[in-house]
Amino acid sequence: MTAFARAFATGRWLPLYALVVGPFRENPGRTVLAIAAIALGVALGVAVHLVNSSALNEFELAARHLAGEADLVVRGPRAGFDEALYARLSRLPQVEAANPALELDVPLAGRQDSLKIIGFDPLRAAQVQPALLPERRGLVSDLFDADAILLSPAATEWLGLKPGDELRIHVGTRTLALNVAGVLPQGAYRQRIGVMDIASAQWRLERLGRLNRIDLRLNSGTDLEAFRRALQAMLPLGVHAATPETEGERGANLTRAYRLNLDMLALIALFTGAFLVFSSQVLALLRRRTQFALLRTIGVTRGALAAQLVAEGAVIGVAGGALGVLLGYALAYYALSLVGADLGAGYFRSIAASLHAEPQALALFFALGVLYAVLGAAAPAWEAARRAPAPALRAGDEEEGLRNLRTLSWGIAAIAAGLLLALAPAINDLPIAGYVSIALILLGAVLVMPRLAEACLDRLPLPSRAPAAIAIAQLKATPRQAAISVAAIVISVSLMVSMLIMVSSFRTSLEAWLERMLPADLYLRAARFGETAFLTPEEQARIAATPGVERAEFIRSQNLLLAPERPPVTLLAGPVEAGTVEKLLPLTGPSYVPRANEPPPVWVSEVAADFYRLRTGDRVRLPIGDTPLLYTVAGIWRDYARQNGAIAMNRGLYVQITGDRLVNDTALWLAKGTSLADAQRALRGRLPEAAIEIATTREVREISLKIFDRTFAITYALEIAAVLIGLFGVSVSFSAQALARRREFGVLRHIGMTRLEIGAMLGCEGALLAALGTAFGLAVGWVVSLILIHVVNRQSFHWSMEMQIPWLPLAGLAAIIVAAAVATAVCSGRAAMREDVIRAVREDW
Amino acid sequence: MLSIRGLSKSFGGARPREVLRDISLDVQRGEYLAIMGESGVGKSTLLNLIAGLDLPDSGTIVFNGAELTALGDTARTVLRRNRMGFVFQAFHLLPHLTVAQNVALPLFLNSADTAQASERVAAMLAAIRLAGAADAYPRELAGGEMQRVAIARALVHRPLLLLADEPTGNLDPETAAQVLALLREQVKGESGAGILVTHSALAAATADRVLTLTADGLRPAKKEKL
Amino acid sequence: MVPGYRLRFPHDEGSHPDFRLEWWYVTGWLNEASKPLGFQITFFRARPELNHDNPSAFTPRQIMIAHAALSDPFRGRLIHAQRAARQGFGLAGADRGRTGAWIYDWRLEQAGDSYHARITGRQLSMELGFAVTQPPLNQGQEGYSRKGPAPEHASYYYSLPHLKVSGTIARDGAPKAVTGSAWLDHEWSSSYMAEQAVGWDWIGINLADGGALMAFRMRDQQGGSFWAGGALRHPDGRLKVFLPDEVRFVPRREWRSARTGTTYPVSFLVRAGDREFAIEPLFDDQEHDTRASTGTIYWEGAVRALRDGKAVGLGYLELTGYWRRVEL
Repeated sequence: MTAFARAFATGRWLPLYALVVGPFRENPGRTVLAIAAIALGVALGVAVHLVNSSALNEFELAARHLAGEADLVVRGPRAGFDEALYARLSRLPQVEAANPALELDVPLAGRQDSLKIIGFDPLRAAQVQPALLPERRGLVSDLFDADAILLSPAATEWLGLKPGDELRIHVGTRTLALNVAGVLPQGAYRQRIGVMDIASAQWRLERLGRLNRIDLRLNSGTDLEAFRRALQAMLPLGVHAATPETEGERGANLTRAYRLNLDMLALIALFTGAFLVFSSQVLALLRRRTQFALLRTIGVTRGALAAQLVAEGAVIGVAGGALGVLLGYALAYYALSLVGADLGAGYFRSIAASLHAEPQALALFFALGVLYAVLGAAAPAWEAARRAPAPALRAGDEEEGLRNLRTLSWGIAAIAAGLLLALAPAINDLPIAGYVSIALILLGAVLVMPRLAEACLDRLPLPSRAPAAIAIAQLKATPRQAAISVAAIVISVSLMVSMLIMVSSFRTSLEAWLERMLPADLYLRAARFGETAFLTPEEQARIAATPGVERAEFIRSQNLLLAPERPPVTLLAGPVEAGTVEKLLPLTGPSYVPRANEPPPVWVSEVAADFYRLRTGDRVRLPIGDTPLLYTVAGIWRDYARQNGAIAMNRGLYVQITGDRLVNDTALWLAKGTSLADAQRALRGRLPEAAIEIATTREVREISLKIFDRTFAITYALEIAAVLIGLFGVSVSFSAQALARRREFGVLRHIGMTRLEIGAMLGCEGALLAALGTAFGLAVGWVVSLILIHVVNRQSFHWSMEMQIPWLPLAGLAAIIVAAAVATAVCSGRAAMREDVIRAVREDW
Repeated sequence: MLSIRGLSKSFGGARPREVLRDISLDVQRGEYLAIMGESGVGKSTLLNLIAGLDLPDSGTIVFNGAELTALGDTARTVLRRNRMGFVFQAFHLLPHLTVAQNVALPLFLNSADTAQASERVAAMLAAIRLAGAADAYPRELAGGEMQRVAIARALVHRPLLLLADEPTGNLDPETAAQVLALLREQVKGESGAGILVTHSALAAATADRVLTLTADGLRPAKKEKL
Repeated sequence: MVPGYRLRFPHDEGSHPDFRLEWWYVTGWLNEASKPLGFQITFFRARPELNHDNPSAFTPRQIMIAHAALSDPFRGRLIHAQRAARQGFGLAGADRGRTGAWIYDWRLEQAGDSYHARITGRQLSMELGFAVTQPPLNQGQEGYSRKGPAPEHASYYYSLPHLKVSGTIARDGAPKAVTGSAWLDHEWSSSYMAEQAVGWDWIGINLADGGALMAFRMRDQQGGSFWAGGALRHPDGRLKVFLPDEVRFVPRREWRSARTGTTYPVSFLVRAGDREFAIEPLFDDQEHDTRASTGTIYWEGAVRALRDGKAVGLGYLELTGYWRRVEL
């Protein structure tokens, strides 16, 4: 091909070249950064969504497998209900088959963890839970051996056991060896579970006479809902009949708020990325508008020009979106295999999730990425195409283009609407209004930013020193362009600040709470994990009589099922009493002392109060013991430990009602002069070594805080990603501006500014923009953190916290942002000046 | 005041070429000199070398007693800032600074006292007959007005040497004449020296002395009939 | 297992929980709107060997299993249902002292001179009464039926042939009235199968003349008979008990199940003493998959007994151990 022909051939693509390839070649860094910002946003969205949906999918699968072919699942508290209920339900004419089950988390010996063991009737499984049936028939009869257990493939892998091996567990303070008789069919179960015969489970796990679950298969033609209602009326309080769907939802409900919060964080990251692409796109296009005017002058139509610009945005969006989806998939894969499906929050310990990818969701995130990039290009493209070519040809017209955007009143309206929405209650138990409120406030902040930036810059005095003076004069003259950069910083800073305040408030409140909840010197319990460990009265007496132990207080924890769609509430029977409760529990309001003729007092945690709509002074019937009794809600307390709610009551009363004298936890106060180590040694000497756990108050505190930090690790990670995207955006906009200002730098060099001074000028501009952005970001972040703490968090997790502003980290964050802005400004200036700016002066426009 | 001896400059790259060869030139204080020449002959390169924006391959440039080639970039920049002024063909006012700020720029750079600086800027604006446009932005001005502002900016700090690169290239003849007159008037008024690079004979005619730059060097221009 | 135990009725019609294995086995031919159907209702009781004394009420001291199947030639294969449950809570069990076995609402029980069976399910429901017309037929030596050369491989075994059937049967819908003739076997043992046994072939035929024929053989790994037995009761009540070498099963035709790949000899020439019968199935596919309860697959179907090409009796043929060795 001759050179002429080649030129002719490229001619057809000239507009594309001029608008897409050209800008990229001219400034690959900016394009790469824009793609990276979109990619990172999309990747985070995809990763968080994939991990969540994989976990959720696993939840549903697990619930469905456990329920098998059952039409209804009757469930009681973990302590269970009388097995006679099984016989009664089996005889109902509507019931085709009933399978009795005992489902317990059992602490593992020599391992800080527990295994879910399901005791069931393998003979009924054929009808109700075929998946639980071992493939080899001999296994069913092997299961009749009282020590036999079958493990799911996931459990054998996790425990490193094979058929014939021993599985050692704790019951009470004893260690028990079960015999691994076989492995459940591959694929039937992805959860880590063990399966025993119901009789063996009742005997070995010390639950004789008790069941905590019955799966029902109904005769065909039975009206499920009508029967469920009729059945519910027959069931004792605290035992509920629910469909397997509700069962699945319950698992999902447990984590719904947590998952929503992660999804929101991911969306925020995507939004931040998108906004940055938008702002960099706006600035880049503004700077190129003389070129566009030129193109318009030589006959490119408005539509063609706008289309080309949007195409440019779309190219960035497609590249970023595709990259983001791939990256997100990889991130999710590694997150699942390294951290687990709960992203370290400890929600789904027994679930081994495998990546569950939904093509629609991937497509959606990809489309969102493209959409954001296109929108980012469309707005300025529209403006650039609309502007008459003649004035646009003049240098400095960009600001005029922005002057037409009237955003102040919209911004104020958005902020006002956002603040109002913050007062709205949760929708379907989710803080949706809270999130919308935050989104509106952020949007409002962006919209008011031009006027706000202008007002602030107007008030700025003009110094006499050259670099600063020029920088400030420059900013004063271009407040709206400055506002775009400032808004980008405001968005990312406010998100970071609000998260920082929220997490710090939570951590501080947790520390204060731990201080309050851990008044003793030592804590002793029968295994931290699982539900089958306990201390007998005899062991309690031995503990109390240990030399050096001045006082021992015992706590029994049980759980109560108060609603079928919610996980059970923890019942804590301890030394609380009406008069002195304030000393033991962090009450959030005044306590109520029941009068003599009123039912005995219980104290409910905030979570339980929210879930079951309880207020101080209310009466509530609770399924404690064989006959449910009325109790008076004597106060509401803050509890960060039990996210499904807790109810505290006096243990003397509990023993009187239930006759259950076992305990799980012991708080120990030591006599003066007894060292912690001596006391621990003495206690260990008096109890079976393996099955108890003794920790000092400090250790308990540290463990709790470690769990907290692990839970928030993913939050931090997402936050860091948001910061990164924010810094990307700042550098994108700075480098775009710097490149566009090369000629200006050339002139300044002519006039006698050193490179250093030009760098200082840019740094000064960057510092000013960043300072403005950070200042507004701190303010907006503070407002957002209020909503996070008092609305989103309260509605998601149902616990309150004291606002605690982490001044030092905030100052550090502000300093980092300003420093980063200065650095990127200087760097982008230096990069722009690397080429011969002297010659740029001679170049024509 | 300006003494150039044996100046040579070549450019590498895809098409290496020698632009200036053995150029010598002396400019006296108060002298207003025009350098003519065809496009690409190296007029702008010569200006860049004089301004210390670029370094020669060989030769010396002594400006106001200082040997430019012996100075570092910062020293050359400071020298330029204090003692030189620039006027460009494309005006090159900073678009986001007002007229007054544009004019005041060199004073800011030289850390002038604010009060004195604003007095001086006002005087300059009056001198270029744009006193009323102090707070206007460059885009609001006509081309000739912009170039007048550029001249004011170039001379506001009373430089020893004004360097003007084709200052009327973008202007219509009438405006060009006005601008040229102003330029000469201002250079003379501030008793500095001026070097006007142009290929317009009309412009060159406003100078005290006209030199022609060709591939063979710098020589006095033949008087031509205008 | 000792010979010389004298069966006592009705006491021995009840459960014998000390024995490891016991079954009540009703098979027969029915007429539904003058179309022939075969049916089978079986209740098994098994006592697993437990190495512990678990106090739990769920401890599987006895396991009850029930099979029900209907052979409809128009359908061409069995409609069947099965249940298994551990004894306890009164939900499943077997009475002592009289026939009474139940799993939830499935039951087979004795009421005076008749029996009553009830099977419910989504695909198949049966509600049948069986009137006794003849006294019990004690198999083997006065009810002691050997299953192998060693005397301990044996069962206590009696049959009730020529039970008069009336009741209803429902297949995927409304119940229809049926009448017919059935055969009940009650057998209990603690060591039914010799080590070399993989399964057995069995027939129980209600002969048209009022006589009753039972014959079985125990098969080894090679498919040969290592033990056999049987009895013929003449219409007048005379009983002829056959020695092992008096009973021969000669396969005439094989049928292969496409579902399980198992091949069954569904047609036989059975010689018992001086009599010879051709045994022809009502239809071939009467394979019974009971992996979910007893863990095996066998063939259990309605057959005609022919002599000289003429039907002289209706009954059931059972072929076990063709899929895999029977594990009791």
